[in-house]
Amino acid sequence: MALARRGGIGRYYDVNGWLFVAPALGLIALFMVYPIFWSLWMSFQSGRGMMMKFAGFGNIVRLWNDAVFIKALTNTMTYFVVQVPIMILLALILASLLNNPRLLGRAFFRTAIFLPCVTSLVAYSVLFKGMFAFDGIVNSTLQAIGIIASPIPWQTHPFWAKALVIIAITWRWTGYNMIFYLAALQNIDRSIYEVARIDGVPAWARFTHITIPLLKPVILFTTVISTIGTLQLFDEVYNLTEGKGGPSNATLTLSLYIYNLTFRFMPNFGYAATVSYVIVILVAILAFLQFFMARERDK
Amino acid sequence: MDIFARAHLSRIAALALASASFLAVTAAEAKEITIWCWDPNFNVAIMKEAGARYTKTHPDVTFNVVDFAKTDVEQKLQTGLASGTADALPDIVLIEDYGAQKYLQSFPGAFAALSGTVDYSGFAPYKVEVMTVDGQVYGMPFDSGVTGLYYRKDYLEQAGFKPEDMQNLTWDRFIEIGQQVEAKTGKKMIGLDPNDAGLVRIIMQSAGQWYFDKEGKANITGNPALKAAVETVGKIMSANIYKPANGWSDWVGTFTSGDVASVVTGVWITGTVKAQPDQAGKWGVAPIPALSIEGATHASNLGGSSWYVLESSAEKAEAIDFLNEIYGKDIDFYQKILQDRGAVGSLLAARSGAAYEAADPFFGGEKVWQNFSDWLAKVPSVNYGIFTNEADLAVTAQLPALTQGTPVDEALKAIDAEVAGHIQ
Repeated sequence: MALARRGGIGRYYDVNGWLFVAPALGLIALFMVYPIFWSLWMSFQSGRGMMMKFAGFGNIVRLWNDAVFIKALTNTMTYFVVQVPIMILLALILASLLNNPRLLGRAFFRTAIFLPCVTSLVAYSVLFKGMFAFDGIVNSTLQAIGIIASPIPWQTHPFWAKALVIIAITWRWTGYNMIFYLAALQNIDRSIYEVARIDGVPAWARFTHITIPLLKPVILFTTVISTIGTLQLFDEVYNLTEGKGGPSNATLTLSLYIYNLTFRFMPNFGYAATVSYVIVILVAILAFLQFFMARERDK
Repeated sequence: MDIFARAHLSRIAALALASASFLAVTAAEAKEITIWCWDPNFNVAIMKEAGARYTKTHPDVTFNVVDFAKTDVEQKLQTGLASGTADALPDIVLIEDYGAQKYLQSFPGAFAALSGTVDYSGFAPYKVEVMTVDGQVYGMPFDSGVTGLYYRKDYLEQAGFKPEDMQNLTWDRFIEIGQQVEAKTGKKMIGLDPNDAGLVRIIMQSAGQWYFDKEGKANITGNPALKAAVETVGKIMSANIYKPANGWSDWVGTFTSGDVASVVTGVWITGTVKAQPDQAGKWGVAPIPALSIEGATHASNLGGSSWYVLESSAEKAEAIDFLNEIYGKDIDFYQKILQDRGAVGSLLAARSGAAYEAADPFFGGEKVWQNFSDWLAKVPSVNYGIFTNEADLAVTAQLPALTQGTPVDEALKAIDAEVAGHIQ
């Protein structure tokens, strides 16, 4: 008799399906959707600790006048503009070198360069902090081989502190990007290179005119992934500077500033939520750019 | 065998039941007080000593003293308070005086008021001040951060200075001595973390001022003490008589390793200084150098902290009674922690004890405790306000510019602008 009414079966069937996805949907709603909307609501409030009041656009006005926020935003952008191209280029070069089947010990080098990726962010930051201390191993080595005359103030000079963070994240993430390129390189038909060789195209031109264009979608992908990672940069800076983003806010990132607003300063959860939405908007813009560029490529 | 078992079965069962219920009873009676604090050589060790004393008279109360880094204690506390769940919080927590008002004001009702239970008239008034909100006093005053100039007698002697030469210096003289020490011994005068405003705070408070005035309003651009303090730290950096440090442990390393000739900090560092037995007899303690402005003194304060009981704690009554019994009344306890750990408590009655009179062989037989105790009475009282962390970061942000020739008044304006942005 249930078979008699198709609509009834359809409904029965639907209900079962919904029951299956309901637990997952419920969890997503509880732990993803609800916090997202709640933090949006929070970003319109301001106050000390639990004493929050509705502030309208007060937090957004505060952003414009907040020199520390502007500094954090500039730093984050500096990391992104300087570090991402260096790392992408380095990863590309390493990948094409390690793709050479005649290279001895290929597996060893691949593993060695990828290995930093499996270390914990905190562990390697602490290690770098020790290595780049004023009388640490890096300074003493550079002095011993005569590259520098006096120790570099890696962690106390604004410029060198930024350089240190860039060195650290490049070390940590280059291997990660290299793996993507290595995988993509396996998919490039060998005959294309063979033809180029027969035509007498030199190695560097093969790299710039064959490898890079064919890797373009992967390069785009890794660039966007790295951009998002850089925008959320936190662990390295926190551990290298004891959570202060020093010296003189030179290494402060947006994520670290959010953390400070919540846990170090007089807690202002509303304003911190506003700053975190700045990251959301930046990431959204960059994701949009990715779609835009991918669409152009298809034509 | 079978018969035996059957005959005794009921008795065995009864015994098992009895022992089970006995365990249950003791579990219900035994109270464990969880405490968070941060320095294993100092407040952690002291709290363990206090706990042991209390357990002697109250065997049903045990203690679980948890040792975190200081920033971890603060951040875990802040997260726990903000989340509104009490499960993750301890029964007693140690809070540095600079942060006390911040917690008390932004999380009202989170801490137990102890006025009425504890007799606060017996404590140093400035300590009670920092834990008072709307006439209610929260917390048990603990240690003082009265400051001193710890110096290496051996290095200074090599440079031609006797202990008499180290008394009642000015900061300018201190820098001169530092230059000579470096010329004669190759050692830097002081370890300095450019990301830490501790030295600025010490110098500023020694002249009776703070980042904030008595009403809690920002006091930056028109503050002669802050100006002089920032200037002094700038001079130390320009004169290059400091060893740069990055972070607390690095800074501690500058003097435990013997790389610097002096340390200017709170008395609570004594335990760490004395933890190097090979340096015994080589250290002396003098009053800190003074500024040359009006109201300048040789006494100041750095840090110092107090114990707070969480309102939500299941063992609230026991925790309060414990603090009151030991920290509020036990004079002998204060002698012990002074001798063992160099803790100068803020219970005034404790100062008349024997330990304060004793000479310390580590410091070549100087009566250091009496000195610190004298200086403590002279520490200018200031209002720490609730934005000290923010102001600290604003100050350290300007220090590098200062050494590159930025005028002090401009740096102060920048600090003022940054602090004003945070006070809302």
